[in-house]
Amino acid sequence: MASTNRFDAIVIGSGVSGGFAAKELTEKGLRVLMLDRGVMVEHGEGYAYDGKPAYEVPARNMMPPGLRDSDYFIAKHGYVQPSNRAFYNDDRLNPYAFDEGSKFYWIRPGAVGGKSLIWGRWSFRWSPADFEANKRDGIDGDWPIRYDDLAPWYSYVEKYIGVSGSRENLPYLPDSEFQPPMPMNIAEKWLKQRLETEFPGRKLINTRLSNMTEDKPEQNRTKCQFRNQCGNGCSFGAYFSTQAVTLPAARATGRLTLRADAVVTNLEYDAAKKRVTGVRFIDAKTGQAEVVNAGLVFLCASAMASNQILLNSRPAGSGRSHFDSSGTLGKYVMDHIFRVSIDGDIPGMDEYIEYGRRPGGVYIPRFRNNGGDEGVGFKRGYGYQGSARREPAPPVGFGASMKHGMRKYSGWKFGMGAFGECLPYEDNHVSLHADKVDRFGVPLMRFDVRFRENELRMMADARTQGEAMLKAAGLTNVTSSEGDHVPGDAIHEMGGARMGADPRSSVLNKWSQAHDATNLYVTDGAQMASVSCVNPSLTFMALTARAADHAVKQLASG
Amino acid sequence: MIDRRTALAGVVGMFGAAAFAPLARAAQLGKASGIPVISEGPPSVAVFNPAQRALMTALSERILPTTDTPGAIAAGVPAFIEKMLADWARPTDRVPILAGLDAIEARSQQDYKVAGAQATAEQQDALLTLAMNGQLPSGGVFFEAFRQLVLAGYYTSEIGITQEREYLPVPGEYNGEFLYSQVNKVYSA
Repeated sequence: MASTNRFDAIVIGSGVSGGFAAKELTEKGLRVLMLDRGVMVEHGEGYAYDGKPAYEVPARNMMPPGLRDSDYFIAKHGYVQPSNRAFYNDDRLNPYAFDEGSKFYWIRPGAVGGKSLIWGRWSFRWSPADFEANKRDGIDGDWPIRYDDLAPWYSYVEKYIGVSGSRENLPYLPDSEFQPPMPMNIAEKWLKQRLETEFPGRKLINTRLSNMTEDKPEQNRTKCQFRNQCGNGCSFGAYFSTQAVTLPAARATGRLTLRADAVVTNLEYDAAKKRVTGVRFIDAKTGQAEVVNAGLVFLCASAMASNQILLNSRPAGSGRSHFDSSGTLGKYVMDHIFRVSIDGDIPGMDEYIEYGRRPGGVYIPRFRNNGGDEGVGFKRGYGYQGSARREPAPPVGFGASMKHGMRKYSGWKFGMGAFGECLPYEDNHVSLHADKVDRFGVPLMRFDVRFRENELRMMADARTQGEAMLKAAGLTNVTSSEGDHVPGDAIHEMGGARMGADPRSSVLNKWSQAHDATNLYVTDGAQMASVSCVNPSLTFMALTARAADHAVKQLASG
Repeated sequence: MIDRRTALAGVVGMFGAAAFAPLARAAQLGKASGIPVISEGPPSVAVFNPAQRALMTALSERILPTTDTPGAIAAGVPAFIEKMLADWARPTDRVPILAGLDAIEARSQQDYKVAGAQATAEQQDALLTLAMNGQLPSGGVFFEAFRQLVLAGYYTSEIGITQEREYLPVPGEYNGEFLYSQVNKVYSA
């Protein structure tokens, strides 16, 4: 056991939360060790296929089905391609478990930067109502914080990372500190005008995206170049990633040590002092275990991986985690439910087309239950993400007529998909497998998470309302589809170590700090007590910055 | 303010100087971590016999012929198809392709008394039309699968991306009301 005082803090994980923790803590003067289980990917030079056309990517950037079947059978739901494969987890090497009937897609990254390299980048503030939702609905698990606690930290994070979007003054979707929005195209503007006329109170707005529309020269970042190849890594640094934003900031302090290939297995604990005393990890390249310690630990391994590390931190011979005095660890796991899509043709405007490949699109914010229970048959609500575009004409027949027929574009099409809020259920839980361990000796994560009646009713409504809106707006050939609703599929999995005011019913306090260990903070998705219906990453960053501020003030006050 | 051209030059310079570095890195990665490497280079097995290969090559050009831009053969589509079926696709994906080629070959011998690869362009078109209309054994399945292979190979080739279509590596701006009359060619994705 290597016991040193080289570090003031250890950050586990380097995604949106871990990267932010490392930036904040080093900038506040702490010497930080950041551990990540993935391979090292440096900004720019680590993006092997950034800017490469298909003919310069293995297999023309079409994922070989045999390889997908053998090694990426889960990651395929996260849009893995040959060009971004290095950023994804290998599902064969890193298995997990679920029982028959409770399928879960645990879509993981496999590189430093975590999901910040491959995320969808849609960035929203949660609303005041989101933080009051459990209380309002009489559901166990009231948030110990309110929107106003987080608002200044949203501002702080947004100004730093760069979020593009339009000011809308919607109480149920607060504005961020925006850079100018990415414009709507002419067909989306047409749809906005008609939809908002037909359905007073419903809105169709610009996307809110962590792709910048203004340069940040002080961070050596250039605004979005409209390549729409974000998932390959962006050497312009146009979207938020650890590599482009928080890692350079942390390194600039001279106080960051980063170790890739460091698989954290568990935390060591002093029950008398109620403190974490060591972080045990295995070097994935050598198989060697090490223990490091520091006065402060930020656990940001991603929601489910943080749960796994917490669950696996337990006294010898005991099944109960050091951090589970409440008995709620691993419970109340949630994801957004999505797999409802609606499509249609937008008539006219054939003389216009898009130039440039815009990431993102447009957003229809939640319109259900915003003012309280509206008696629509379910609690909470959903929003839609969509875009209008024109595709090249499809092939007809073969030969010169087919080839030349494909030289024009079809008309405008609009497509959108719903993202719905999942309620927290105590028995939607994760645990450690009783007898299966992975190659590092860690018991496999075992998922028992299901969507329930409330979520399925919500999706049925999203489908009906989506069709109604597009038809009323004047689209033709409107169709909808509903896919298999598998938790994890939205890659917005959250919960398991929720915040709460009462240590008897929550794992973390209002500062993301463990009730059972004063020097442990968990600032990724594990801490969420509910999930809103909007994308969560921006909220993780704000909570992380807030927790880092609290932790350092605690250190200063002894 | 970062000069966008400088940033772009950085991207281009990086890749220009290290065209094969990604492959080398991928190979290293695979060795160290147990993650499989995607096969590159010539096909690891011969999917076609010489007659099948000649017919496949000729038919790919009939699907996507040379017109005012190069066709399938110039774009390397036949080699792509054999590589795809040898190393990237599932082994079962070869079955309808080989069966369809054999059916077309037999029909060519029957109708025209020549090997399919030696038939005239008009005769090959007639044979493909029979397949497309389901008038050959396993013809319809063959036609859809084969056409998809040709399309995938062509529109991901350098010729397909940069000559048949217009390639914008760094558009630099977005215009959602661009005049269609100013579009010369369909843009590569």
